[in-house]
Amino acid sequence: MAEKYELKTKEVWDGNTAASHALRQAQVDVVAAYPITPSTPIVQNYSSYLADGYVDGEFVMVESEHSAMSACVGASAAGGRVATATSSQGYALMVEVLYQASGMRLPIVMTVVNRALASPLNIHGDHGDLYLGRDAGWIHLIANNPQEAYDMTLCAFKIAEDEDVRLPVTTNQDGFLVSHTAQIVEPLDDETAYKFVGDYKQKNPMLDFDHPVTYGAQTEEEWHFEHKARQHKALMDSPKVIEKVFAEFKELTGREYKLVESHNMEDAEVAIVAMGSNYETAKIAADEARKAGIKAGVVCPRSFRPFPIKEMAETLKNVKAIAALDRNCPMGTIGALHNEVAGAINAFGQNAIITGYIYGLGGRDTTVAHNLEVFKDLAMNAEAGKRVTPLQKFINLRGPELSFFKVGE
Amino acid sequence: MQLYVRWHSRAGQGAVTGAKALAEVMSQQGKYVQAYSVYGAEKRGAPMMAFDKISDEPINDHSKGINPDYILVIDPSLVFNPEILNDTHENTKFIVTTHMSKEELLAMPQAAHLKGKNLFVVDAIKISQEDIGRAMPNTPILAAFIKISEVVSPESFLDTMKVILSKFPQKIIDGNIKAMTRAMEEVK
Amino acid sequence: MATPTERLENWDEFEIGAVLKSFDENGNYSRDHSKTYKVADWRVEKPVFNRDICIDCDMCWVACPDSCFIVEEVVNKRGKKQANIVGIDYDHCKGCAVCVEVCPTPIKSLLMFPEFEDNNNALANWPKKEKKDK
Repeated sequence: MAEKYELKTKEVWDGNTAASHALRQAQVDVVAAYPITPSTPIVQNYSSYLADGYVDGEFVMVESEHSAMSACVGASAAGGRVATATSSQGYALMVEVLYQASGMRLPIVMTVVNRALASPLNIHGDHGDLYLGRDAGWIHLIANNPQEAYDMTLCAFKIAEDEDVRLPVTTNQDGFLVSHTAQIVEPLDDETAYKFVGDYKQKNPMLDFDHPVTYGAQTEEEWHFEHKARQHKALMDSPKVIEKVFAEFKELTGREYKLVESHNMEDAEVAIVAMGSNYETAKIAADEARKAGIKAGVVCPRSFRPFPIKEMAETLKNVKAIAALDRNCPMGTIGALHNEVAGAINAFGQNAIITGYIYGLGGRDTTVAHNLEVFKDLAMNAEAGKRVTPLQKFINLRGPELSFFKVGE
Repeated sequence: MQLYVRWHSRAGQGAVTGAKALAEVMSQQGKYVQAYSVYGAEKRGAPMMAFDKISDEPINDHSKGINPDYILVIDPSLVFNPEILNDTHENTKFIVTTHMSKEELLAMPQAAHLKGKNLFVVDAIKISQEDIGRAMPNTPILAAFIKISEVVSPESFLDTMKVILSKFPQKIIDGNIKAMTRAMEEVK
Repeated sequence: MATPTERLENWDEFEIGAVLKSFDENGNYSRDHSKTYKVADWRVEKPVFNRDICIDCDMCWVACPDSCFIVEEVVNKRGKKQANIVGIDYDHCKGCAVCVEVCPTPIKSLLMFPEFEDNNNALANWPKKEKKDK
């Protein structure tokens, strides 16, 4: 039996520490990892807790991230609670196996610390890796500060392992801005946290020798489509479970999470949609914009996959102008989040003016003032009743203004 | 109340740990905190910065830049870098480690940028070498900051530091307490 | 198609994760188990096993990709337990001939014959060792 870890009701933790304590409290059976900046401390801390007797489990050291996720797939199919962490290039190397994990319906939890993808090499935060795993069949939860990194990781186990879901989940936090920024985190005590997550419920475990199973079947054109459609349905249905788990979590902690988070949206005429730490920075900008007479609000999808299409449209139904902020260079389109939001509002017959902004690549600082500039653009579009600003702009980019699809071009 | 502190250090001198310790101390006082650092892929010895944001309200701003109320310079050579003045305001207080007196330091042409500034000096390197046994100037500078800023009483500061340091051997804890007490006395 | 039409289930009917169970709820081999999946009609030629020449090296047992070699535990003349090859499971043999390839006896104890050839006939016509004149 693992030893109890003494925690204060208020700890000063960075996002990595917060996520690693969640792994410890969930009593993860197997962590297989190949540590990479900035997520290294998550698995490093887990191995320390293991060595110090605070968790009963196994830490498997492997020779690459591809092997790390492969070992996670094996351990999860064998019937254990499994977790790992990665970032950036490591995430990229895992991608092949991410699809295996979701296709085999293995409830692995991966705490991702978002970091830019090379080249050029960069260790700081952007959402390049998150977007890389977008279509891999995982649930992607977004945490905007260390408290949420802790909360989302605990919830992730409960969501992934639910019998109606049985899908792997990533929890995402911005590299350095959350992962290495110490803030106040109110953890649950070990017993309460474990009780919330619950005992691991096995499904078709390979180590059940009385009921042998085969994982990794080949399915050609007569089977593959049906399997993928079923997997997609599980993902599309998962918001019910996500909301149920969030409701239980609120009951326990008083902290409320929704599929779509929003700030000042009740009467907002213009809105920024953003994921990650800039959601919180933009909230301050929205408050300041209101002082300047702009009815500004901010929106954040709590789950990037499944994308809360209906809830997103509902939240944005009364706004006149929307800016979707993508912390990733879309390389040939307007932006993943922009396209999701545009699709969502279009699907429900809404016609707000929507523009895209690229920001924060490789950890580039994005301030309240930068977000305020976006609100000023939005106010111009709302005022004109049509798009008068470029379709795509870049925030805090050095050099002459870079934008695409200027009006009149 | 909002308070911004920027640490100037070299990687390996403990600025990140110092900034987190300050955050811990202030959180014990019921404040909201953010402690973070800015560094690249540099190695030990490269100049770097760490930051503390302290507030009565929850801190939502995740941008890195601040207008510091306090500048803590924990490496003696960084005192001569005019960049320590970046984004400061007229009331910013500078607490720097140096073996010189304030007058000797200000007499140096390389320190001209500090003239007329709200300057405090303490030899955190020497204190840490003598009392802790190695050049780890983070805790003495933190103590000097506590003394100058009066954000928390020296007694409750030292009590919290004992808890933070509790994972270390008793000898290290005692050395740090001694060094911090001395820094609070010697900072001028 | 490899799957018989009557076995093609709809997307909402099968086990999630493409997991295949070996046994059904009654403990019988499931239809997904290879035991119940017969591939005899895949063969054009079949291997025939000649017990009289076999030295029980078990190379065919190791090499067979479908575990088609039926073994029997016997006690040898030194009183030790040993696995004897006694025959071929023709329900699961696809006729790949790997067993013939690995058989090490000077005259093979496994040879490929046309599917319609009677096994007794095949054994009667087995190649003989040529006697060298001294």
